[in-house]
Amino acid sequence: MKKDKRMFGKLLMIALIIFFYAPILYMIVFSFNEGKSLTHFSGFSLKWYHHMLESRDMMEALYTTFSIAILSTLISTVIGTVTAIGLSKSRKVVRDVVEQVNNLPIMNPEIVTAIGFMLLFITFQVEKGYVTMLLAHIAFCIPYVILSVMPKVRSLDPNLADAAMDLGATPMQALLKVIVPQITPGIVSGALIAFTMSVDDFIISYFVTGQGVKNLSIMVYTMSKRVNPSINAISTLVVVIITLALIAINLIPVFVSKQQEKGKGNAARGILLGVAAVLLMVSTVGFALHGGLKKGNKPYEGQTLRIYSPGEYIGENVIPDFEEMTGARVVLELFDSNEQMYIKVANGEAYDILIPSDYMIERLIQEELLQKVDKSQLLNMDFINEEVMNLNYDPGNEYSVPYFWGSVGIVYDSTKVSEEELEQEGYNIFLNPKYKGDIYLYDSERDSFMMALKALGYSMNTESQEELEEAFKWFETCVTTMDPEIVTDEIIDNMAQGRKALGIVYSGDAAYVMSENENMGYYEPKEGTNIWCDAMVIPSNAENVELAHEFMNYMCDYEAAYDNSDFVGYTSPNEEVMEELYGEGGTYEGINAYIPRSGYERDESFVFNERTRKIISNLWSKVKIVASNVN
Amino acid sequence: MKKFSQLAIPYIVWMVLMLVLPMALIAMYSITQHGNSIISFSFTLEHYKKFFTDSDFLLVLGRSLMIAFKTTVICLFIGYPAAYFIARSSEKIQNILIMAITIPTWINMLVRTYAWIGLLSEDGIVQQIIKSLGLGEVELLYTEGAVLLGMVYNFIPFMILQINSALCKMDPFLLEAAADLGASKAEAFKKVTFPLSLPGVINGITLVFLPAVSSFFIPKLLGGGQYFLIGNLIENQFITAGEWNFGSAISMIMAIVMMLMMMLVKKVEVHNNGGKEEE
Repeated sequence: MKKDKRMFGKLLMIALIIFFYAPILYMIVFSFNEGKSLTHFSGFSLKWYHHMLESRDMMEALYTTFSIAILSTLISTVIGTVTAIGLSKSRKVVRDVVEQVNNLPIMNPEIVTAIGFMLLFITFQVEKGYVTMLLAHIAFCIPYVILSVMPKVRSLDPNLADAAMDLGATPMQALLKVIVPQITPGIVSGALIAFTMSVDDFIISYFVTGQGVKNLSIMVYTMSKRVNPSINAISTLVVVIITLALIAINLIPVFVSKQQEKGKGNAARGILLGVAAVLLMVSTVGFALHGGLKKGNKPYEGQTLRIYSPGEYIGENVIPDFEEMTGARVVLELFDSNEQMYIKVANGEAYDILIPSDYMIERLIQEELLQKVDKSQLLNMDFINEEVMNLNYDPGNEYSVPYFWGSVGIVYDSTKVSEEELEQEGYNIFLNPKYKGDIYLYDSERDSFMMALKALGYSMNTESQEELEEAFKWFETCVTTMDPEIVTDEIIDNMAQGRKALGIVYSGDAAYVMSENENMGYYEPKEGTNIWCDAMVIPSNAENVELAHEFMNYMCDYEAAYDNSDFVGYTSPNEEVMEELYGEGGTYEGINAYIPRSGYERDESFVFNERTRKIISNLWSKVKIVASNVN
Repeated sequence: MKKFSQLAIPYIVWMVLMLVLPMALIAMYSITQHGNSIISFSFTLEHYKKFFTDSDFLLVLGRSLMIAFKTTVICLFIGYPAAYFIARSSEKIQNILIMAITIPTWINMLVRTYAWIGLLSEDGIVQQIIKSLGLGEVELLYTEGAVLLGMVYNFIPFMILQINSALCKMDPFLLEAAADLGASKAEAFKKVTFPLSLPGVINGITLVFLPAVSSFFIPKLLGGGQYFLIGNLIENQFITAGEWNFGSAISMIMAIVMMLMMMLVKKVEVHNNGGKEEE
């Protein structure tokens, strides 16, 4: 009988261990994968490690994660322990109230706590960044420490400290020599919880960060839409660091106790040493990152350029080359949508360059959040294609320099869908039951509504409430009968692997998909589409305007523009680059998605209108809610 | 002796600033008219009305609570036996197992969740295993099952560790005493072990249920964009829609619902302990 129970327990443990470690093992294995695939191992290679080491973004995220975790653990453990001891001697009312309030971050859903911190920092106009992240981490770690130390303090004999002091100990001595050793297990477990919470934290960090400061979680969240095996590499590195630290924690006490007589504080000492080891490692990385700047006589040595750009939107050599050339340091922060960018900018976060879309630029100009560019510093603008100059959102390009442009269309698997079908049905093919469960919608409120409105024969800039409601109904039908997946950039890799028959995408993403998989096609529906242009602009609160101009000018130049467009797949505004890449021998030779349609009467560009924006935004979240309520 | 009580004062100040004030701010935002500024305060309850008069929002809340509930139940039923097994092992094995469970939690949650995408995706390893077992093709990724799996995976260690630490705190002589007094194994478990592990269970439930309710990256990564939970709704209001007031109202509603549920759970604990807990 007893044997059976042990057996069951063992099997359960084995199953759990497999469950816990399968993803980790998988990550480690695939970090050495030659190819980009997440499912097929095509050979051994260290290239993702090279990528990781070269990516300052990743190394900084690593540094931020661990330095914040260690600092917040140390600070919160000390404060938490001291407070717990203090509370145990306080009046009951005080103790009860403090314990209740202290429970707030534990009892509250994390996202509520996160929003509270965000509103706090914004209300008091503390600029969000490393410090706010650290403060928030300390604030949510202390309660856990108190929670784990408190029971230990309570179980102490209340006379213990008095006895020590009667025997001549000072209060400080009584605290350190009598009380603390008794509650060490509680302190250690509190510190461990705090550390774990901090390393793992995503939600709170995500809401309180700024200035491009990100920990690993934020980095993964803002870049995970497209397959990036470097994430596996960095995860493997984290596994190695953690394992080393843990081994240190466990081995050091063994060595120590071999030398001395077995003592009680050894576990704690071991952990301290382990922490010290990690601290050392982290600070080494930190020095490598910050102290590694070579002195030179480049024009912008020591200056910083802060760019806020959509994710996966910049060539891999573009920034390193720029840094090499100017000596400046570029901080790149990524956004998911124009709306997300707007909220940050409107709340006063300072960037030197933004890369928003046409209608958003129009909005930013209207709200006086941009400054005019100085064209005498932008001589390379001459190379820009006339097609993307002088557009409605910024006549005369007083504020903006084109970055990429393109259309929105349907990417399709030509082995499953024929072009005739697409021509017949246009966007309404997304309502064709034949493709149920085989379609992707794109999670962008603007472009989704564009699609529905065009399918219904309306203008995508309509201000009519009825037409917008009708578009909502169109989606309602789609999500309730077609079982679509609503995705963002993951569509790119998934279509490249032919996972679904149809999807709605930006032309540049389609170009990339087609260059990876020859069965894929791109179709711009006859009902018309959105011809868009994203451009670089300088916010009015930019700190380094001169360097911003330098960067814009650099991006218009052939070399950088080529690198950028070649890597990302979006259409370059540099005419020469565009022709080169599309032409014979170019990366996107013959791929129609690389050359957006022009001059078609039903095509439009977005015009900004605050009222319709709100309606669309609300309706689109309703679409997603309805879609999830169907399941 | 009184001197020690002063040690708590700095934290009380900090607490008011960092814990009470933020909640007050959310409450303020939730009852003010549009405009992300509380200087031009004008009272309204329309944000609450908007939430409660729309069945779609309520469904989202309901589903979020449901999936968090399922996660908690699964974690408890797997976690308790696991914690029990660990607590009954020799000290050496105990340490190894605890470490084995702790290590994954130290590796970033998002990273581990991200790894599941590869494991679950079409022609991923799990699919291949299922296929080779002759169970046919099942869609794994972007389903509720995937979200549930992601949540259990991320949160079950908290449950195990909490219960385990409660079990380990138990004086082993209590069981001997129970046996001496004629209790069977089952009785001893019911009357001694389980009640004493209850604080751990409660802490475990809290540590699983709360993050499960408010998580928004697990549904986003494993459920796809069409899997919308209350956390996603709140994120959406703050990050993309810019409707901070409505977002604050949803946050308040969620905080209050949670508070009520946790009070209920605590009640169960106090009731079961029958006032045993001393000051």
